[in-house]
Order: sequence, then structure tokens, then C-alpha cells
Amino acid sequence: MKNRLLASLLSATALCAQPLLAAEPAEVVGTYADIAAATYADSLSTAKALQSAVDMLIAMPGEDTLQAAKTAWLAARVPYQQSEVFRFGNPIVDDWEGKVNAWPLDEGLIDYVDASYGGATEENEFAALNVVATPKFTLSGSEIDATEITPALIGETLHEADGIESNVASGYHAVEFMLWGQDLNGTGPGAGARPYTDYLTGDGCTNGHCDRRAAYLKAATDLLVSDLDYMAKAWAEGGEARAAVTADPAAGLSAMLTGMGSLSYGEQAGERMKLGLMLNDPEEEHDCFSDNTHNSHYYDGLGVQNVYLGSYTRPDGSVVSGPSLSELVAAKDATLDETLKAELAASVEALGAIKAKAESGTAYDQMLAAGNAEGEALIMGAVDALVTQTASIERAVTALGLNGIAFEGSDSLDNPNAVFQ
Amino acid sequence: MLTLLRAAAALALLALPARADVATAVEQVILPGYAGFTEAARALETAAEADCRPEALRPAYHAAFDAWMAVSHLRFGPAEEGGRSLAIAFWPDPKGSGAKTMARMIAAEDPAVEDPAAFAEVSIAARGLFALERLLYDPALTGDYACALTRATATDLARLAAEIEAGWAEFAPLLLTAGQPGNARFLTETEARQALFTQLMAGLEFTADQRLARPLGTFDRPRPERAEARLSERSLRNVQLSLAALERLARALAPDSPQTEAGFEAAGRLAAELDDPALARVGDVQGRLKVEILQQRIHALRDTVTTDVGAALGVSTGFNAADGD
Repeated sequence: MKNRLLASLLSATALCAQPLLAAEPAEVVGTYADIAAATYADSLSTAKALQSAVDMLIAMPGEDTLQAAKTAWLAARVPYQQSEVFRFGNPIVDDWEGKVNAWPLDEGLIDYVDASYGGATEENEFAALNVVATPKFTLSGSEIDATEITPALIGETLHEADGIESNVASGYHAVEFMLWGQDLNGTGPGAGARPYTDYLTGDGCTNGHCDRRAAYLKAATDLLVSDLDYMAKAWAEGGEARAAVTADPAAGLSAMLTGMGSLSYGEQAGERMKLGLMLNDPEEEHDCFSDNTHNSHYYDGLGVQNVYLGSYTRPDGSVVSGPSLSELVAAKDATLDETLKAELAASVEALGAIKAKAESGTAYDQMLAAGNAEGEALIMGAVDALVTQTASIERAVTALGLNGIAFEGSDSLDNPNAVFQ
Repeated sequence: MLTLLRAAAALALLALPARADVATAVEQVILPGYAGFTEAARALETAAEADCRPEALRPAYHAAFDAWMAVSHLRFGPAEEGGRSLAIAFWPDPKGSGAKTMARMIAAEDPAVEDPAAFAEVSIAARGLFALERLLYDPALTGDYACALTRATATDLARLAAEIEAGWAEFAPLLLTAGQPGNARFLTETEARQALFTQLMAGLEFTADQRLARPLGTFDRPRPERAEARLSERSLRNVQLSLAALERLARALAPDSPQTEAGFEAAGRLAAELDDPALARVGDVQGRLKVEILQQRIHALRDTVTTDVGAALGVSTGFNAADGD
């Protein structure tokens, strides 16, 4: 009782010491959930627009319908990439993410590829399976009937077939491959150049099996829409992802900062950007068929900033915003907040410079080429900015007293006896 | 005898003043570790110059790899700048980029082997210890060009090792003066402790979730071909050396942690009993079970270290280079 009294006295004192209008953790995680809900709702609506465009392409294959489908795919990536910051720290998102955004892929699993791609590899005996051309095959000892290509076949049988991560059969990048085809230009200019005739039925069909190819594109797009629908619902009012972050605001704040830091450092700066540069490998770019990697990186970075500033601009220009993590940090350490805001702006600017360079005609894969000093400087500029902001994100965790709040349960914390087993 | 030595070492550490955790780790574990790697990499370079034949060079290769295992988990500071640690040891390589890039270089007789500066720009997949492993253990790679490639790779490794060691001459003072005015890298002593603790935790996770998990695959589909450094049959050795290196770091950071010590000892004992150098037996039930038990032991150890060492240092894990997928 005495302890409790002391605790409430202490917390009352602490509250008095803060500015009157300081954001409350519960409100801040509420903003976070609102932004997530809007981002996934926009991902869903733009994916539905893609679905309509794909239906048009299949019904009337032509230059214009193929281009319209590609344009719709590119538009769909804008909100989705801003959602990637929700992935780390939210197990619901992380467990699901592989279905919609897995990368890199052994695209020969799905459709025809150039001879330079090679065949099956030591790591993946299905790297060149070509489901479009192969209605029946054996997979890990089971006979597979792929006569009819359905979302279930793609999602439950083909995706990560044989337990191999690069057997990506579903999601944005599978659809991207079906629209653009392989980018055979290496680190030279040009994206994938799949002809619309790959979807013509009858005599004009190129590369064979156009009807099955169309069925694959349709099924993969439909599956993407239904997967996004699931996640949009999870963040809407009453959804499980929203409940997970709002139930315990401290854990919710921890999830927010975990997402920001893990995406900035290990994932984007490391896995996606620096590694690609060090491998000089044109396939080490996130949207490798469409040459859209500059946008993919840019909107990833913007998503991190959205979470901190508590503000997301939707494709229609309207803004979802509310009490922010930034305000919460500022109340504890105003200097840290100013620093982190400046660093986030700097990383968005550095990623913007890559985007501008790509839009002026030098694709991301060209920037990766060995000996391209200017491209390397642009990429490393963004990598360094992302690494820099990670240190401040870590400091924000400390400033908010969130050290030691594990979002995912650890064995020893949940079960002290586990350590003795 | 070993236990006695350990007890003596623990006592020696206890006698140090409080807050010596970071200094002990830097001065007694990390810096000697890098010095050892530089020396071994230099010896490898000298040996390659003298005789590039695989059978002649294998002992120096193993010595260099052993020395690297003492510091491989330190993915921050000079090892992370310029991606040096990846250039030294690019693994896992799920797309087989290393073999592909090397095959291309050999087919084209890429002249980069003649010029260390040009070789430093070659894809990391075709450099470092794993490139050297292919050159020394893949019988298909022979001839004059392979010899030149072997020498260039050894020279490049020696350069990388020297650069990291030189970088630590600048970086160590930052860790040691954490929280002092003018230190913008580590604003508090806690930040320096957290940085080291994060390396320890990430190292344990890498051994359990990559070195052991990759060959384990699933029960129905074990993946012995995915074991680390299986060509030179060092897969298990790397697990053991990594555990030993992490134990030294843990002991330096939090000398009075009996549960952590017991955990490392148990994991080390299980690894020593494995008798499966390339982890090739993950496919048979008995062999698999032993590797799974070791993996569980390391997972439990990770939790022990979180509560034990983490509490002693007053920190939790920070962001690390392996946070991606």
C-alpha cells in the first residue's frame, strides 16, 4: 500500500514536470495504429486498381493495357512500401509479410527465363521449374496437379516450395515479373521487356502457354488483394494488430521504435542497399524487373519518418495525423527530438537524391555497377544517413525508458525455469 | 585444470574496479582478437606468395579462419565500415553468388588479380575466406589463374585485417571514453555497454539461427549442403570457436555471471561431443537430434545472457546488422 502511494506520488510529480499538452503514450500508439490502418487500406485500394488493370490486360492484351497494368503496379507500391516500417516489431505483420513482398526470387519457378539464368541450382532444384509451361510435376515427393492455376495453388503449394525462400510464387514481385519479365540488361540501362503478346491467346501468343500465363497473373494478383485485405482489417478498429499495440502503450511504443530502427539499419541500409553495392549484383535491387527500386527505397524511408512524426499523406493528398512519438520524445529530451527529426529528414533527402537520379535516367541497377563512383556515393550517402538515424532511434528507446521491454516474449522472461532446462 | 584457470581468471576480473566491463572487453578481448587475425592473415599472405598450391596453403587458411572466429561477431565499428566483415566472410550465400562470380572471373581471367586496388573492388562474394575455401578445396579450380586468384585473395584479406586493426586504434578510445565531453559516438557509458552487449547477443543468434539452422532445414528436408564452410569441414569448428569467443566477451562484460558461464560450458560440451565436422549428419535422426539439442541449448543461453549479463550491464539489445530478414 505504502509502495503504491509512493508510486502514485512519484508519477504525479513526473507528470507535473512535463509540458501541459504533452502527448500521452496511449494517444501516440493510437496515431500509429491509425496510420497503419490508412497505409494498408491504401495498399488494398491501389492493389484493387491493379487487379482491374490486370483483368483488362488479360481480356484485351495490347501495349496500352500492359502499360496500364504496369502503371497500376507502380502506384500500388507507393503506399505499400510506406507500410514496411510496421513489419519489424509487429509479429502479426512479420509473419505475413513473406506472402506479399518476398524477394529476391528465382523467377524461373514461375515462367520462362533467358538461357543465361541457368537451370536448377544446388540450393534450389525448382529454380527453373516453369509452372506456366508445366501443368504436372513432382514436388518434394508429391505429385502436383497444376492444371488449374489458382490462388490456393500459388499460396499453399508453390510459395516457398521445397522450403526454399527464393521460391517466391506470390506477392508484388511475382506480379512484377509477370508484367515486366526479366531485366536482361545487367547493370546497363533498361528494365524487363516482356511483350504484351505473352498474353495473347491463339496464334499470336509468344513464348507459349499464354492462357496459363494469364491464369497465373490473375491468380497471383487476386491472392495479393486478399492478403492485403487481411492486413487492412487487422489494423482497422477491432483488428488484432491494432489491439496488439494499443493494449499496452509501452509495448506499442517499443514496437514503433523497433520497426523504425530495424528497417533503417539491418534491413534497408544493410541487407538491401550496402549488400547490393558490395556484390555489384544488378539482381540485388528490390524491384529488379521494373527498375522501381529507387521508389521502393524512398517510400521505405518515408514510412520511418511517418511513424516518428505521426503523419501519413495518402495517395489522394489527405493527411492522417495525431499525437506523435516526436512529441513524446521532445517532452523527455528536446535536443534528441530535434536531432532525430533532422536525421530522418536527411535520410529521406538522401533517398530522394537516388530517386531523382533514377528518374533522370540512371536506374538503380546502374548505380550498383562496379566502378560507378557517383552511384556508389549516392547509395552510400543514404546508407550512412540511415545508420546515423538508427543511433538516435536507439537513444529514443532509452529516453522513453523502454529498455528491457521486449515486445516478443522471451523464454526466460515468460518462464524463468527455461534457462535451467 | 581448465576450471581452475577459469576460476583464477574470474577472480582476477572481480578484482578490477567497478565499471571496468567495457575496458576489459576492449583491451583484453577485442584488441588482442584483431591483432591475432591481422597476424594470421599476414602469415597466410606470406604463405601464398611462397607456395599457392592448395595442400601447402591449407594450414595457413585454417589458422586465419580460426583467428577470424575470435572477432567475427563484432559487427560494428571498423569491421562494419565499408562492409569489411562481409568482404572477409560472405556467408550465407543463398544465391550461390560466390561460385558464380568466381567462375566468371576464372573464365575471363579477370586482370583484377594483378592489382590489389582493383581486386578490392571485386564483388565481396568472390573475396575473403569463403572464396579462398573454394580455391583450396574445390578440385575444379586449378591452374595458373587459380594460383594468381589465391594470392590476390590472401593479399586482400591481409589488407582488410590491417585496416580493421588500424581502425580500432581510433575506435577503441571512443568506447573507452564513452560519456565524456566531445565523444559524439557514445553519449553515455551505457551506450558503449549496449553496443558490446548487442554484438554478444547477435553472435549467439547467428550461431543458432544460421550456422546450425541452415543445415538443419526441416525434419523432412534437412540441408547438409548449407552448412558453413563445409568444403573445408570447419562447420562445427566455427560453432565451437564462435561460442568460445562469445564466452570470452561475456566474461569480460559481466565477470560474475555463474548462470551464463554454466550455459556456455553446457553448449561447449554438447558441441564437443558432436563429432560431425561438416554437420553432414543432420539428415539422419541421431545426428540431427544432437544438432537440434545444441541449437536449443544456445537459444536457452541467449535468454540466460539477456537476463544475466544484460542486467549486470543495465542494458537490453540494441539494433544490429542482422535485424533484416
